[in-house]
Amino acid sequence: MLRRMTPYLFVLPLLAFIAVFTYVPIVQSMNLSVREWDFLSPTKPFVGLDNYRLLLDSREFWNALRVTAVFAIISVPLRLLLALFIATQLLRETWVSRIMRGALFLPAVTSTVAIGVVFSWVFSTDYGMMNALLKSIGLPKIAWLQEPHVALWVLIFVNTWKQLGYDIIIYIAGLQAIGPELYDAAAVDGGRKGHVFRRITVPLVMPTTYFLLMISVIEAFQVFTIVDVMTKGGPAGATDMLVNMLYRVGFNLFDIGVGSALAVLLFILLITLAVIKSRVIGRKVHYEA
Amino acid sequence: MKPSNPLISGLALAAGLLFLSPVLYSIWMSFQTADAYYTGTIDFTLSNFELAIGQYNFARYLLNSIIVSGLVTLIGLAVATCAAFAFARYTFRGSNLLFGAVVATLMIPSHITLIPNYLTLAKAGLLDTYAGLVLPAISNGFAAFFLRQYIRGIPRALDEAAYMDGASPLKVLWRVIIPLSKPAILSMGLYIFISEWNNYIWPLVAIGREDLYTLQIGLARLYRVNPGEDIINWPLVMAASTITILPVIVGFVLVERHLIRGMMMGAVK
Repeated sequence: MLRRMTPYLFVLPLLAFIAVFTYVPIVQSMNLSVREWDFLSPTKPFVGLDNYRLLLDSREFWNALRVTAVFAIISVPLRLLLALFIATQLLRETWVSRIMRGALFLPAVTSTVAIGVVFSWVFSTDYGMMNALLKSIGLPKIAWLQEPHVALWVLIFVNTWKQLGYDIIIYIAGLQAIGPELYDAAAVDGGRKGHVFRRITVPLVMPTTYFLLMISVIEAFQVFTIVDVMTKGGPAGATDMLVNMLYRVGFNLFDIGVGSALAVLLFILLITLAVIKSRVIGRKVHYEA
Repeated sequence: MKPSNPLISGLALAAGLLFLSPVLYSIWMSFQTADAYYTGTIDFTLSNFELAIGQYNFARYLLNSIIVSGLVTLIGLAVATCAAFAFARYTFRGSNLLFGAVVATLMIPSHITLIPNYLTLAKAGLLDTYAGLVLPAISNGFAAFFLRQYIRGIPRALDEAAYMDGASPLKVLWRVIIPLSKPAILSMGLYIFISEWNNYIWPLVAIGREDLYTLQIGLARLYRVNPGEDIINWPLVMAASTITILPVIVGFVLVERHLIRGMMMGAVK
């Protein structure tokens, strides 16, 4: 009897934590999304799909969705392309490439808040490093974080700077798994560099690309910290992301119903993206022997 | 292999320095007086750190961060290792389903748990406590998955030998599996510690009391206290930022290879 229970006892603590803090909350969010509540009142009346309707009729929601989508669509491919290119340059085990890998990876383990603060200084209008550089080559100042058309690009830049090293490390792992045979064969056939990259490297690291695409899209749609520190969604909503809106609605306005509806919509969106991706790209991932 | 070209090496190192220059300069700035910074001269001082640690309470935030990240790492590793052992070594009714439920958490965006977890902890009276910071961060599907893959690579004959000698499963885990999984456990420990150290949104939600702020919350508050950038005391803010990132940078330099290897193992398996 005890013997049969053994594996259950070992997995119980983990599953209990996962149940309480991950799975039950998904159901709770769905339940709260069809109710009206402000954290305090004793009742939570059922309001049907009103919270969803309110969101879908608000400019705030569509703005946040558009800004988040732009952020993801620009920054994910940018990260992956840059990372794949740099990874192919850092494959050899020399001390230079080891130091470069370390330098590029360092931001990925550094606090996002600290990076946000440091880059707020880099891009600050009066004392920042960027405007000092512009000034030194005779160009006028730019109000990087106050200009609606510029601020989102600054955030994309900073996010790319931070995450790039992680992508590079994962790509290096993927590239090292390919092995030299195909490259040797291509060299015998006199394949040009660009050609080899397109025809051998890119298809063969597809499983890695797929893995990175999956996690970086989820990450991009959940970006919060860098925005909260650097722009708070401003100027004029130009960098307002979905999770920043979720935080504001839930924890500043205490509108639990609408906040939960927003969380559920974002959840459905991410699941849908995951399914589409596995349909479209999943088929191309079977190069691995 | 041909020796690396010194010109290329030099250029690569310069590019690396340029890449890290904002962070390096922020550390340099934290040792400058505010006057020197704004007038563009050089004047070394430790006063920014004294101010941050003393008046702005960053010693306390540092302690809070160490306690919270330490507890999450220790408990998280214990819970994940036990589960990984069972999933690697036993086939039991529902084991595939349960393992699937663990792996699926990797795909579940964490924002959907934000409001419900806040409510759960409020109901339990755990907001504004260390427990409120630690408990929701314990379960780590990635660590459990990663350790299970690693443990499957350890020959079963070693377990069998220990069982022959009359060892209990717990003893096999403690005496055989854990010692042999040390590299994987170390990598995961680092990964959990760093993620928790840098966690921002959950402490922001769960903590209102100033004396329970973690470094991330303390730094964000210090920076945001005076909006309008003319009033920001940049050298002071950079000292606080340096306190926040330095433990991770020092740790990173010490164990960089473990960490990167851990990340790579996780990606390929």
